[in-house]
Amino acid sequence: MRFLICIKQVPDSTTRVKVAANGTSVVTDGVTWSISPYDEYAVELALEHKDTAPDTIVSIISVGGPRTKDALRQALAMGCDDATLITGDGADQFGPLGVANALKSAVLDLKPDLVLCGKQASDDDQGFVGPALAEALGWPHVAMVTKIAPSADGTEIWNETEGGHEVWKASGGAVLTVQKSAKEPRYPSLPGIMKAKKKEIPERPVAGLEDPVTLEIVKLEPPPARGGGKIFRDGDTKAFAAELAKLLRDEAKVL
Amino acid sequence: MKIWVIAERSTDGLRRVSKELAAKAATLGDTTVLEVQPTSGEHVSAVAAATGLAERATAESPDLILFGATPTGRDVAARLAAKLKRAYLSECTDLAIEGSSVDATRGMYAGKVRARVRAALPAVASVRPNAFPLADGLPEPEVTAVAAGAAAGLEFVRFEPTASSGGRVSLSEARVIVSGGRGLKGPEAWTQVEALADVLGAALGASRAVTDAGWRPNEEQVGQTGKTVTPDLYIALGISGAIQHLAGMTSSKVIVAVNKDPDADIFKVADYGIVGDVFEFLPAFTEAVKHAKAGA
Repeated sequence: MRFLICIKQVPDSTTRVKVAANGTSVVTDGVTWSISPYDEYAVELALEHKDTAPDTIVSIISVGGPRTKDALRQALAMGCDDATLITGDGADQFGPLGVANALKSAVLDLKPDLVLCGKQASDDDQGFVGPALAEALGWPHVAMVTKIAPSADGTEIWNETEGGHEVWKASGGAVLTVQKSAKEPRYPSLPGIMKAKKKEIPERPVAGLEDPVTLEIVKLEPPPARGGGKIFRDGDTKAFAAELAKLLRDEAKVL
Repeated sequence: MKIWVIAERSTDGLRRVSKELAAKAATLGDTTVLEVQPTSGEHVSAVAAATGLAERATAESPDLILFGATPTGRDVAARLAAKLKRAYLSECTDLAIEGSSVDATRGMYAGKVRARVRAALPAVASVRPNAFPLADGLPEPEVTAVAAGAAAGLEFVRFEPTASSGGRVSLSEARVIVSGGRGLKGPEAWTQVEALADVLGAALGASRAVTDAGWRPNEEQVGQTGKTVTPDLYIALGISGAIQHLAGMTSSKVIVAVNKDPDADIFKVADYGIVGDVFEFLPAFTEAVKHAKAGA
């Protein structure tokens, strides 16, 4: 069985993201880049399957500029088998439908049984590429996936929804967008890191790909500042609790 | 301007977010509220829902198609936008029509940045619950049924309910959320947390430390790898306020924090804070809310 996992390189989740002076992008100097968190859960989901079925091939792919190779090497070090980078001028600027089209051509060549990606990237938070890739391929997709059970006649897929999980069965190819699950993504092993350093990462060009719609960023800003709240210190917690209930009712008007 | 609102239903009628969107859409243009009907059973895959909607959209050419940013709404919206090759604006917190474009406000970087984005119409958008007010006493909007399409290669097997989810309002749509962190020391504390949530009619949330420890199910996690929430009132109990947690809840209207550490980062975003023992606070506050609600 072969998995293809689409990953995106994003600022690490501990980064304090700052809006750049132009007001339409973020400061990238000094940012630590990392695999988008949900993509890491997707990698883990596939590697868990490989743990039980060692003939499983876990391939990874990303669209981006040269530094994107660091993210691919990070996934190789976790235990993925091979990596491909779709790159070229403007590869960083592609909208979701453009990225989906770029990935589609790679899927047709690499012929995975299942394609996995995170439920959304942690930079633009759109959650568009996965369903758009499935649409481009004419495949079904299942979102918010926390567990899979491949078998001879298809794959059972657990979709986290409100109040529980819907279990679906895909008889053939499908795109799964992965949600956080109980199993944390594994850390790269030292031998894994050494091996990943030596692996060739083949490149595919982005040229001539369709990117039909764009989302223009008019303005980025930090969320409205908060603070200056009423903080009760050094006193009777029970009395504060009673006072707080009155404030929430009479001042904040939220009770 | 032709606007579609794709409604969702819960056990007691149309979901609140669907009604919020129908009311908002009516201020933007000529609104039709649609609901996808399953062809068999009760579970519709996103691809089947999107297929049914795309067929009708191709015939009727709506300028803007709005979904509630629920798990289902977001999923169908993305697939539909891809089918129609339209721009997709996800999890918007505000929307306006500007000429032949739609301008939206939405969070990026897990809420660490607020973005104003613009897309040419026609477009598809999902909108967060509680983004637009819902006046009391509005009649339920009229809803038109749309049959789901086919989903080749995908079949529904079964539904596995989460044991602890019984009867509470969903986290993404909740007006009030009571959220617990590591400071609550263990899963047993949730008996008291739930007692407070019951009095407030609140949903339950948790910090990542709590869901990772298995004290609460993953679906209750608020923050970067959990849910981003925008309730009227967010009560953080024993949560220190890691940047990833703050990203998911700082857009709440009113934030209350209770923590014994006076330097906890959560106090920097709190409108009301109590530096003290959360176990002293909980029963006292639950009683006080009962009294306050009763008008005392």
